[in-house]
Order: sequence, then structure tokens, then C-alpha cells
Amino acid sequence: MQLLVFLLKRLGWMLITVWVVFTLSFFLMRAIPGGPLNGERVLSESVRAQLEQRYNLDDPLFVQYTTHLWNTICFDFGPSYKLQDFTVNEVLAQGFPVSAALGILGMTFALLLGMTAGVVSAVCRTSIYDFSFMLLATLGIAIPSFVLASMAIVLFVFYFQFFPAAGWGELKQIVLPAMCLGAPFAGYIARLTRTGMLEILSNDYIRTAYAKGLSTRTVILRHALRGSILPVVSYLGPACAGILTGSLVLEKIFAIPGMGSHFIEAALQRDFTLGMGALLTYTVLLYVMNTLVDLSYSIIDPRVVLE
Amino acid sequence: MIVIQCPLLISVRSNIFRRWVSKLVRKFFPLLILLALLGAVVWAVSMGTLPRADFVFNNGAEIKTMDPAQATGSPEGRVINALFEGLLRSLPAGEPDELGRIPMKPVARGMADRFTVHADGTVYRFHIREDARWTNGDPVTATDFAWSWMRFLHPETASEYNYQLFYVRGAEKFNAVQLAVGDKVEVELADRETPELFPRGTIRRGILRELILPLPTEGTAETDVADDVAAISGKAIFIVEFQTESGNTSAKETIAYAVSADGSLAGIDELKQTYTGDFPLADIQPCKHVLYDFNEVGIQVLSPQDLEVTLNSATAFFPELVAFYPLHPVHRGCVEQYGARRFTKAEHIVTNGPFRLKERRIRDRIRLIKNEQYWNAAEVELDSIDVMSIQSETTSLNMYLTGQLDWDTTPPNAMLPILKKRDDFVSTPFLASYFYRINTAKPPLNHPLVRRALNLAIDKRSIVDNVVKGGQTPADSFVPPGMNGYQGYQGSGQNVKRARELLAEAGYPNGKGLPQIEILYNTADSHRDIAEVIQQDWKKNLGINVVLRNLEWGSYLDSLQTGDYMVARSGWIGDYPDPNTFLDMFVTDGPNNQTSWGNVKYDNNIKMAKREADPAARMQLFVEAETILMEEQAIMPIYFYVSKNMVQPNIQGFYANLQDIHPLHLIKIRREGSATHDAISEDTN
Repeated sequence: MQLLVFLLKRLGWMLITVWVVFTLSFFLMRAIPGGPLNGERVLSESVRAQLEQRYNLDDPLFVQYTTHLWNTICFDFGPSYKLQDFTVNEVLAQGFPVSAALGILGMTFALLLGMTAGVVSAVCRTSIYDFSFMLLATLGIAIPSFVLASMAIVLFVFYFQFFPAAGWGELKQIVLPAMCLGAPFAGYIARLTRTGMLEILSNDYIRTAYAKGLSTRTVILRHALRGSILPVVSYLGPACAGILTGSLVLEKIFAIPGMGSHFIEAALQRDFTLGMGALLTYTVLLYVMNTLVDLSYSIIDPRVVLE
Repeated sequence: MIVIQCPLLISVRSNIFRRWVSKLVRKFFPLLILLALLGAVVWAVSMGTLPRADFVFNNGAEIKTMDPAQATGSPEGRVINALFEGLLRSLPAGEPDELGRIPMKPVARGMADRFTVHADGTVYRFHIREDARWTNGDPVTATDFAWSWMRFLHPETASEYNYQLFYVRGAEKFNAVQLAVGDKVEVELADRETPELFPRGTIRRGILRELILPLPTEGTAETDVADDVAAISGKAIFIVEFQTESGNTSAKETIAYAVSADGSLAGIDELKQTYTGDFPLADIQPCKHVLYDFNEVGIQVLSPQDLEVTLNSATAFFPELVAFYPLHPVHRGCVEQYGARRFTKAEHIVTNGPFRLKERRIRDRIRLIKNEQYWNAAEVELDSIDVMSIQSETTSLNMYLTGQLDWDTTPPNAMLPILKKRDDFVSTPFLASYFYRINTAKPPLNHPLVRRALNLAIDKRSIVDNVVKGGQTPADSFVPPGMNGYQGYQGSGQNVKRARELLAEAGYPNGKGLPQIEILYNTADSHRDIAEVIQQDWKKNLGINVVLRNLEWGSYLDSLQTGDYMVARSGWIGDYPDPNTFLDMFVTDGPNNQTSWGNVKYDNNIKMAKREADPAARMQLFVEAETILMEEQAIMPIYFYVSKNMVQPNIQGFYANLQDIHPLHLIKIRREGSATHDAISEDTN
């Protein structure tokens, strides 16, 4: 019951958020100079009039707003202005899985690497491992992903020739972008895990576990790890947002046809409908991810109460 | 869902069973997450993989559409030229010039296997080859072209390039709905099945007997022409007389129509009041369109194989236009069945070119495969092509350097000094100009002497040699050199002394009293570097203070169009090798003019050149026009572009040319050990 109320509440807030985002961006998009029908080659008067009619751009702004809002409620984002052969729904349907695949791989990489490094650093505190892992983590956080990507390309594409330079369609093409995407998050996660672990390890119940004669491995993996990943879990929400925005840049560098590419191009080309579609998808996605993180937090730690 | 619900219910009501479930969930939750992640990774990895095509190239931007009638731009052109084929095809023909460029000529090696020109160059008869086939097996006929061109010209299609066919008799009248009383018209009744254009509703053909317009302009023959906007938005009443045949008797029927997009006739009540004629307007019928009868337009189907095109006047470059991709035909059945947007889907599209569409991934690639039905399929060597749309120039170059691309169309400018030393860098001057527009409405730039002084003070040679460094040539004229029979305006190059004199003559000795000038450019390092040189030149040579303003592309275009600039960086790529494609731009109030500049003599020359049949006299008209443009200095040419292509050494059939057009069906891959052969001789005979 409590869960249901929690989910309904979240849903309600999400709808309000989406509406606010929709309204704000609808009017902001139209407030900036330029429009979807502007091109290097200027349209003749009659062609412009016809195209405005085709896309309902000749209606008063408020009518456009209500029409667009109603269509959005019906999950119809309309035709893309700049990809005339597609509707926005089709573009998103093609772009979303690509970004999702990239994001999931990046996140998996970040979690695996970060948590391993964090645990090792905490257990072997002040050792050379601890020192070097934490140095790497700091570097990972400090270096922007596009710099990292450029270095990775020079190293692994031109010098060692392990991976292709860019593109999408093969497994080995995903590796570099996913690693570059995950690296800063791996850094954060490593630090969070290390701090959490150190705190847990000083607890009485860990001493008890050792006193019972359990091996270090069992103590760490079964008793300490669970408590120490709580900060990591709560970090996953912001991390999802970071992965989403981080992939905007990386998708361009690695020529990946994901949501980020569509979103940036839509903004630059004033493709209002596609921009709106991508923006709302991002909003919903972030909201859902945050809700899931809250849910899983309460599962891991029973003391947390959802409200 | 259940898994998540249980532990929470527990926290409210505690009983042993639920606590046990909760414990279980907590225990397996990390495992579950791990499994979910693993599943997601497997799914992510299994995302459709596609092996490399025979030939892969970067097309630059993602194409806007594959519909020939809607497309503009060279990336679109590359794809549409591979998928579709017009009556003629521009192919390399003849000997290379001194720069190694092979001229491109529109020849009858497209859908037409021959064409003849009659009546002093105003009538073209095209004969379509018997073995021309659509990919669904239908023969390609003259009717396909007539229908496709009708669609291209139809106002609702809103084709940006539609003016390319305005040289055809009656075409502009049809497109712009310029109707006069007595014209034959076609009325599209309001009975379309879908709101989409094509299929159209029922078409009735009759004669326009009366035209009622909102403005009090009726009465005189000259002004009795419907304004296209009025017709579209339903502000006019058309009284049309039809000849109806029933059995042996023929009767006349007259109906009043109003054009209405949605069937409502709200806008015309006022019009009815002003009408003083005797035709009863009691029941005006809504209709979709009243257009000039397309049967009257100079596009006539003589037989399934023969198409006759009648022009307004002899137009020397008409074959170039016929070979240009917007005039490529589309399959009527396909368009009518699936509608304007969906007919371009890989599973629907019917094409007639050397390649067919296999798959399209948005902002990734377009996979083309060889069309075995193509009339000349024997000579098409590539079985598959990947047309990549990689936005980042650096990424694209990386992919080329690591062998992922065979042809890179967008090497970054910053790399040109290094790249141009390589053998696989193919670069020649082509039909494109880099220039600065001057807003002649803004003082002090409204003074021609000031504009000329500004132009003379720029060291264009230094810009080309020290800034762009890609082998471009400094420009003193707007039209790039190299077009047959056109000797453009000859400028004097930099002349600081003369520039100072002119400025003094204009009333600003040593730049005194001259307000600050602002240079607008779209955000890019290459444009900024040039703008900085010009800023220095003007400051140093003329004592003018210059500020730079950069805007992102969309805002920059908006500033240009609204005239919110003083001096703005611009570029123009010619559509066909004729001065008209450049000079046509700057006629008074032309949509692409954007400088507020206008000159009656200039306009006149351009208009006369459209009608002039004698090539030499025509070119003379253009030279005069360009001289006016340059002496009034509405624009400042900076340099002529060079084409930039990186082409792998094992690629053959790639010819440098003036238009930077590279037909994909001529491209061959030299396999190891196979003898090199000259592909030109067999492809263009």
C-alpha cells in the first residue's frame, strides 16, 4: 500500500514536471532567433507559406501550443522538421536503444571497475594499491570525457590499433566509447565505495565476524560490502543523469547515432518537434531512474522509509 | 513488481512469513540487479550488427529526405543520384583541363537514350530507353516524368528547387497559381481520402470564367491575376465553366469554387458581399486547389517513350537542369499508396537508379545495394555502399585514416596544410565562392565608395596563403572561374592607397567619423580566423574600428535574413556550371540577396540573359551584370573554394571536376593484382 502511494505520488509529480518542461521548452525554443524553415538557401514566399501550413507553423502560438500538447499527451510527437522521412517517434525509437546500450555498458563498466577498486583500496588501506587506485580515480573524475576520448583514440586506435576509430554496429566499436563514458563515474564510485567500506570496517559487527573466525573474503563480501554500497546506490541517480549528458559529447566524437546526436542536431537545426521529443524522453527517463534508485535504496537498507 | 512490493509491506505489518520473504528479496536483490545488468549488456551488444559495405564514404550531414522533389543540398544529391536517375546524367566527358579536372556533361546516358532540340532551342524531345525499369519491374515511361514533374511543381509539394523548372512554358503559372480569366484550369475537388497530397482528389478541367479577389484590383487585364497566397488561404472565388459530355450532347456547367484547406468557407463571406457580377454565388463549393491546367504546361507525353518539353525561351543550360537530382522521377503508385513521408522507407521505396535502398539508420548510415534491374547494371561494379553521416570532421578523418572509410568528403580545414601533401587528397577549384555580404541599408555601408574601400583594403592573398592554406585562390569576382565561355569581372586585388582615397572621397578621411563596423560570422574557427585578418586589415589600412560577432548557425541565418548585421560572412555553391546560378541571387529583393542591394540594370541583364539564345551575347550580359555587382560592391568576394576529398588509393572512377560531383555508379575498387584500366572511355563514349 505504502509502495503504491509512493509510486502514484511520484507519477503525479512526474506528470507535472513533464508539463512544466514541455511548456518552458516550447516557448524557449520559439523565443530564440531562427526557425526550422531557415536555411542557407532562403525559401521563396510561397514555399515558406506552404511549409508553414504543412507543419501548422502558421497558427497562433497558443493554438500551436495546445495542438502540440494534446499530440504529446497522445504520445505523438509529430513529424521531424529536418528529417522529413521520419516522425519524431521513429527517430527516438531508433536513437534510444543505441544510447541505452551505450549507457548500460558505460554504467556496468563504471560499477565493476569502481567497486573493485574501492574495495581493494579500503582493504589494503595506505598500500601502493590504495594510492594508485585513488590517483587514477581522481584523474578519472578530473579529466573531461572528450579529452579522455581523444587520448583513448590516439592510444587504442592509432598506436595500438585495437579498436576502430568510430562508428556503430560492431561490438568492438562500443568498447572505447563505453569506457570513456564510464571512466569518471568509475572514479566517483571507487571513492564512495572506499569511504563506505572504511566506515563499515570499523564497526563492531565486523570485528565480531572476524572473531567468529570467518575469512577476510567472507567478511568483506558478505558483511561489509552490503553496507558500504549504500552511498554508491544513492549516487546512481545523479550518475544516470551524468551518463545521459556525458553521452551527448561522446556520441559526437565516436559517431554514434544515439539520442544525444539527435538532441544536439535538433537544437542546432531548430527541429522543434524532435528537440521536444528528446527532451521529454530525457525528463521521463531521469525521473524513472531516480524513482528506481529510491526503491532499491529502501530494499538494501530496511531503515529507509519511502514517502 | 511483486519482488519489490513485499519488503515494503512488511515494514508496515510484521509477520513471520513476510519477514522471511523480505529476507529472501534482500538476499537476492544484488544478484537480481547483476542479472538485469548482464541481460542489458547482452541485449546492448546484440544490437544489429552490419558488416562493412564494399564502398564506405562519409556524406557529411544527415540527409533531410530521399524524396527528389523535397531535397536540397549536396549530401542529398549524392544519395538521390545513386537511387534515382533522371532523363540525362552528368558524366565526366572529354579531356582533363590544366588542373586535371574532367568536365561533367549532361549526356543521354540516363533514362533517356537520346534527345533532340528543336525550334531554336525551345523544344526538347527526350526518348526514354526501352529497357528502363523501376525496381518493382514496371517500365519507366514518359508519363512517370510528366507526373513527377507535376508533383515537383505542385504548390502543396513546396519544393525549394521548383524554380529550376520555371524555364518550362506555363510551369511557373502552374506553381504560383497565377491565373487569369479565360485560362484553362484544373480544380481538385475536396474529396481526398487522406489529408496528404497524392493521391489527389478528383480533378475537373474547365475554363476560368470569373475571378473574385479580396483586393479591388479586378477589372483590368494586367492585374486580374490571383495572388498565390490569396488562393492558398481561401480568400478568392473562382467561377469555372466545365464542358460536360453526356452521350452525343455536350452541355456547359458553371460552378463557383473557393479554395479551402479544411472544407470550411468562413473566409469568403465578405468577398460575396463585394461581388457585383450576375453569377449566383448561393452555393459556393469548397475545393482543394484551383490551378493552371497542367495539360497546358509545356510537358507533353507524346508516347510512353517520348516526352516533349517546351521552354519559354532557349535556355542553354536546360540539359544541366534535366540531369539535376530534383528532376529525377518518382514512382507514382508508390507515392500514392504510402504518402509523402512513408514512401521513402526502405520497405516501400521504388527507384530507378543504379542502386536501391537496403536499410537506413538515422544519423548513422544508408545502406545501398546494386540494382540488378538498372539498364546499365553490367557496368556498376559496387555491390553495396554505406553512406555514412558523420557530423564530426575529425572523427570522419580518423575513420578514413584507419581504413573505415574509402572516401571522406569533409576533411577538417585545420588539417588541409598537412593533408594536401598526400597523394590521396583530391582537391581542385570548384564552383563555390566564399564572400562577405554587406548590408547596404546600414550607414555608412549604404555608401558605395565606403564598400569599395573596405574591399580594396583586404589582403585576400594573405588570407588564402596564411589562414585557409588549402590551395584556395583569392577572389576578386563573385563567379568562380572555369565556366565555359565566361570571362568574369577582373578586379584589381588589394590596393590600400586607392582604398584610402575612396574613403576620403566618401567623406571619411583616414576613417575619421566612420562608425564602428561589425563582422558577423557563424561560430567556427575557420571563419573567425578570416574575420580577424579582415579586422586587422581595416584597422591598419583604413583606421576603422571593427568588432566581431559570432552566432550559432541558426541564429546567424536569422540575422542574415532579417538584415540584423553590417558585414556577414557567406558562401555559395553553384547548382550547375552557369553564371546564372551565382548572379541570379542578387536581383532586387531576391530571397537569397539579403543585402538590401538592388540595381535596375542588373535585374534587367539577368532577366534578358534568361531569354538570350546566343551564348556569347548571353555571357556578355552576365559579365556586365557582375561588373555592376562588383563596382557597387554589395558583396566582397574573399576566395574561391577548393573541393576537398580524401580517396583511398585503391578507388578508381573518381574524377575531380568543377562541380565536385562524383557519380557512385562509376566507382570501382582495384583489387590486388588486377590491371588498371581507364574507366572513362567505357562509361561516357
